[in-house]
Amino acid sequence: MAGVWILADNHDQILELLAAGRSLADDIGMGLHLLLWDREEKSGEYFSYGADEIILLPALADGQPLSVYIPLIAEEAAREKPEVFLIGGSNRCKELAARIATRLETGLCSECTAFHFNQDLKRLEMERMIYGGVGVQTVASTSKPQMATIPPRTFSPGSPLEGREGKTREITGALETPVRVLEKKAKSKEQVNIREAKVVVCVGRGLENEEDLQLARELAEVLGGEVACTRPIAEELHWLPEETYIGLSGQVIKPHLYIGIGVSGQIQHTVGIRDAKTVIAINRDENAAIFEVADYGIIGDLYEVVPQLTRAIKEKVKS
Amino acid sequence: MPRIITCFKWVVDQADIRVVPGTDELSLDRVGYRISEYDRNCLEEGARLKEQYGGEVVGLTVGIPGAKKSIKDALSRGPEKAYFVTDPSFSNLEPGQTAAIMAAAISSQIEYDLIICGEGSGDLYAQQVGPRLAEMLGIPCAVFVNKIEIKEKEAIVECKVEDGVEVLALPLPALITVLPDINTPRVPGLKDTLAAGKKPVEEITLQDLNKSFDPYLETLNVRATSMERTCEKMDAGSEGIAKMVAVLTKAGVIS
Repeated sequence: MAGVWILADNHDQILELLAAGRSLADDIGMGLHLLLWDREEKSGEYFSYGADEIILLPALADGQPLSVYIPLIAEEAAREKPEVFLIGGSNRCKELAARIATRLETGLCSECTAFHFNQDLKRLEMERMIYGGVGVQTVASTSKPQMATIPPRTFSPGSPLEGREGKTREITGALETPVRVLEKKAKSKEQVNIREAKVVVCVGRGLENEEDLQLARELAEVLGGEVACTRPIAEELHWLPEETYIGLSGQVIKPHLYIGIGVSGQIQHTVGIRDAKTVIAINRDENAAIFEVADYGIIGDLYEVVPQLTRAIKEKVKS
Repeated sequence: MPRIITCFKWVVDQADIRVVPGTDELSLDRVGYRISEYDRNCLEEGARLKEQYGGEVVGLTVGIPGAKKSIKDALSRGPEKAYFVTDPSFSNLEPGQTAAIMAAAISSQIEYDLIICGEGSGDLYAQQVGPRLAEMLGIPCAVFVNKIEIKEKEAIVECKVEDGVEVLALPLPALITVLPDINTPRVPGLKDTLAAGKKPVEEITLQDLNKSFDPYLETLNVRATSMERTCEKMDAGSEGIAKMVAVLTKAGVIS
């Protein structure tokens, strides 16, 4: 039956993959099939967003992890032979993708940021970042299905088409795994949304103490922006929530203005600000890599520069 | 008492990669190599678990003969012994090949209860080798873990997921990939470095494995990502600050 298959573990990414998968399925001239296990979602909605078929998996029993689906999905794929299989880039789904690809003895393009179906060669050409973001590698799979994981928000969701319909097919099978989910701890939803912020003030390891975040907060406040950080500030020091770290494995942002204070500018971080309109850096090390990717830079001690800058902006706003 | 395998990769130091002027080609002519940063957390976690639970910890790497340079460094970070699976053809391996080579090496001669990998590698960062290896060995797996406890014949782990934390129980033997925030890798001292030189290294060759490891992916091209901006540098005095305020006004963020 072939076709383009998609799989994701949250509603937003399902819509993103439906949009990307729909246009790919049209390019190849095949159907679009969505693997789904959550029965509470309205499947009608997914048909209106482009799915031709929903392949409904059996419900999980209590304490079963998502990885329990791996054998079932791999068997179904071996039988149905999809041409392309796109999987959402959440942490759980990345594990699923790698293990399904292993069972199917096929390649997997991880964290694919763009793809293109080459009509002459009838193959999917997929792009991904390597060397921490220094390079972009384009790959094609010599085996099928051609598989990729897609980071969240790589594609925009499409628009629903009223009255569009599709079929639902249930697959059955035993779900067995020796792994047990003992507990799920939901994290408190932070109100900050650095992805939507027009101005982002980002702190790096140049900041010496947690209390000094106040300097960044004050600067962000006068500019109507949000405070973000580099990975170690969130993951090692836990000074800011993990949703606020920018970079390869964190948030990719496109603000009007990014101000990095005490940010050294490692490539893994700066790939996350590539599309910022204006980049400003404040760092006392004039050789810091951040200056190579900045439009404007102040070479100086952030503890002197930031309060002065905040004050000067306040005065300017008042006048 | 768990027998632990900690896996590490010898990778290009991306700070040394240059863009060939006037092109979008990358030059790797003068690059240095090092143990992938994520794998330092993996080696540290192996050492930490051994301190807590006893048992033994070994290191495992796959690479071209030149990757041998990584072994002493790795051994100074905890493992008692290293397995070096090597062949001149082991350059630019894709994750599927690396995992298959590791699976073949482990099955042929390494006993284990727990395998630890980094969350991804410093060069490709595909995050596939861990879960692929687990699948090939037919053992349970947990990824993106920032806490490991061993209880009886199980590993209790905390996995970072988008909406929080999932606590899993994995019967051993199992494979775990760890996040950088699971620990702070120790800096090896002179004593560790000296001791590392005396630890045994077992070489496993392609002939020993007696198998071929074919790629699934074809690389069509690699090009540089351009993000250079012309930085106008200002001083930290009042003149610089005034200029910066003008820049911000022009950018439309101050009204």
